[in-house]
Amino acid sequence: MFDLLVQALGTIVQWKYLLPLFLGTLAGIVGGALPGVTITMTIIVVLPFTFGLDPLQGLAAMTGVYVGGSAGGLVTACLLGIPGTPSAIATTFDGFPMARNGAPGRAVWLGVWSSFFGGLLGGLFLIVVTGPLAAIALEFGPWEYFSLFVLAMAMVAGLAEDSLIKGLISTAIGLLITVIGSDPITAVPRFTFGSELIAGGFPFLPVLIGIFAFAQILTDVEKLGAPKPAGAGGIAGATLSISHPKVIGEILSRPVLLLWSTLVGILIGVLPAIGGSAANMLAYDQARKFSRRPREFGTGIPEGIIASESSNNANVGGSLVTIMAFGIPGDAVTAVMLGAMTIHGIQSGPLFVSQHAALAYGIYASYILAHLLMVLILAVGALFMIRIASLRLSMLAPIVLVLCVIGAYALNNTMQSVYVLLLFGVVGYALVKAGFPLAPLILGLILGDQIELNLVRAIMTDADPWMFVTRPISGGLLACAVLSVGLALWQHRRHRRTMTAAAAEVDF
Amino acid sequence: MRLGRDGIAGLILLGSSLALLGASFDLPSLPLVPVGPGFYPRIVLSVLAAASVVLVLQDIARAHAAAPAAPAGAARRVRVLVAGVFAVVGAYVFLMPLLGFRVATVLFVGGLQAALEWPRSTRQWTALAVVAVATSAVTYLVFERYLLVLLPRGRWTGF
Repeated sequence: MFDLLVQALGTIVQWKYLLPLFLGTLAGIVGGALPGVTITMTIIVVLPFTFGLDPLQGLAAMTGVYVGGSAGGLVTACLLGIPGTPSAIATTFDGFPMARNGAPGRAVWLGVWSSFFGGLLGGLFLIVVTGPLAAIALEFGPWEYFSLFVLAMAMVAGLAEDSLIKGLISTAIGLLITVIGSDPITAVPRFTFGSELIAGGFPFLPVLIGIFAFAQILTDVEKLGAPKPAGAGGIAGATLSISHPKVIGEILSRPVLLLWSTLVGILIGVLPAIGGSAANMLAYDQARKFSRRPREFGTGIPEGIIASESSNNANVGGSLVTIMAFGIPGDAVTAVMLGAMTIHGIQSGPLFVSQHAALAYGIYASYILAHLLMVLILAVGALFMIRIASLRLSMLAPIVLVLCVIGAYALNNTMQSVYVLLLFGVVGYALVKAGFPLAPLILGLILGDQIELNLVRAIMTDADPWMFVTRPISGGLLACAVLSVGLALWQHRRHRRTMTAAAAEVDF
Repeated sequence: MRLGRDGIAGLILLGSSLALLGASFDLPSLPLVPVGPGFYPRIVLSVLAAASVVLVLQDIARAHAAAPAAPAGAARRVRVLVAGVFAVVGAYVFLMPLLGFRVATVLFVGGLQAALEWPRSTRQWTALAVVAVATSAVTYLVFERYLLVLLPRGRWTGF
């Protein structure tokens, strides 16, 4: 295993791969630093640039974006009080007060080095666990795969903030999109209504880009002209020079906090379609609960920054495990990576590590090196990120949209993909306005074909539907899915009761 | 009975899913395959229809308090802005095959910048024009020359 890793590191340090990795990491940091531009948006923008590259170059660039983006948000979180990405929200709680208290360099570098250590520990997990998990997944038949996908969707639908039913509807819409076009078994056209545009079904990436990019840009457009949040004035004349050994010592002197936050990040990453935004909040909350001085959280203490930043970078490792071992994206960023792999003719899943060992270890090596590059880039340009963060949306939005259009067009050099992009841009925005979560839709969209294939394969092998329940792993996974939905229902009910009680208290 | 946003969304989804569910029964079945092409869509559409019914019922059961009145001017401005963005993007997509990528992109980037934030000085107009031309030129160079993506030529312009 480690021979292959060393060999892959030797490959990635060649200019051919190091340059895309560096540019990807830089793009990730810049995208992460820009408030309103998420890592998903950055990876969508970078995607068309990877079409002309070989698969490892493209995946190295995307891994760089993912790692860089997870760290980039911390600079603006600490120095402007505005998280560049949702995965840096918790960093703002202590990073900005610490910077305002006269220690901006300490705040930023506690974040950078925590990202570095959390990310590397996440990488260790990625390298050690992916192979054995893929070996387990190889034992799966169509029943187990079907049940695993159902579990993934049940978990994501259950995480919908407002309503479980909206999460379920969103998942069903995602699945429905994959049904349109040719039936994967018999090639009979379904719900195409004679249209040439959708005869082959909707291509995955234009749908994804349309739904995410438009929904996000238009949500940002709605905020144009809104007053800036109070207190978000930035740190005037900040200097970031500090003693690095001292900051690293501060982090390593809290090994339990570092390891626990990293573990939280990894576990959230392994769970499908949740992502770093949940990881950093949960790790911060855990750190506060287990702390001896919980009341000091939010005043600018290092524990808050360490918990948030180590977890969001470890989350990247966890997400990559799920995509590489099972072919299920850990979040929207890995969903785009999955789409890019498909474009290059690579099938992600349990056979990926054994059949494409060079590529798999290339991703591991890129992941490790991206952390080093991230530290170097931030050492040189952290303050420059503040300038970039002041770019106006009116300038940024058209450029992002042009790159989205090129990304869709370049898939097969036809305008049809661009029309699909526009159509789903409208759909995505309408869904967001109606309060439907997008993550379950994306997961349904990604897994739809595989769910149908495995369901039909299982029935063709044995028509007995009880096989889904009586086969131990499949039955166990379905039981977990039911449990997950039950738990989500219970949590929603409890949340609603708490809200009602709070409202009643206010009324009286 | 007054339906809220969820109720209306639920009714639209219910109508669409029932219409497609009906259409799924017209799909041909093949004798060699135990389940036809309509089998899986029917499961998905049934789940969607059932969930939509629940959404409508939940909405009916919920007492609709009067929505907090948003400042009318601000809400209208947001609606106009969003509609404007869709219109400009729509025009870009439909004009691209006619004008070609380069011309359409200059017009789109310039037009959208102006729609989002109207320039108020010569300096801002210059910045708008520079960003529009530079975006078109740089993306064209990078994608056509280095990444070998043949971007659309215009039927009207041949450019």
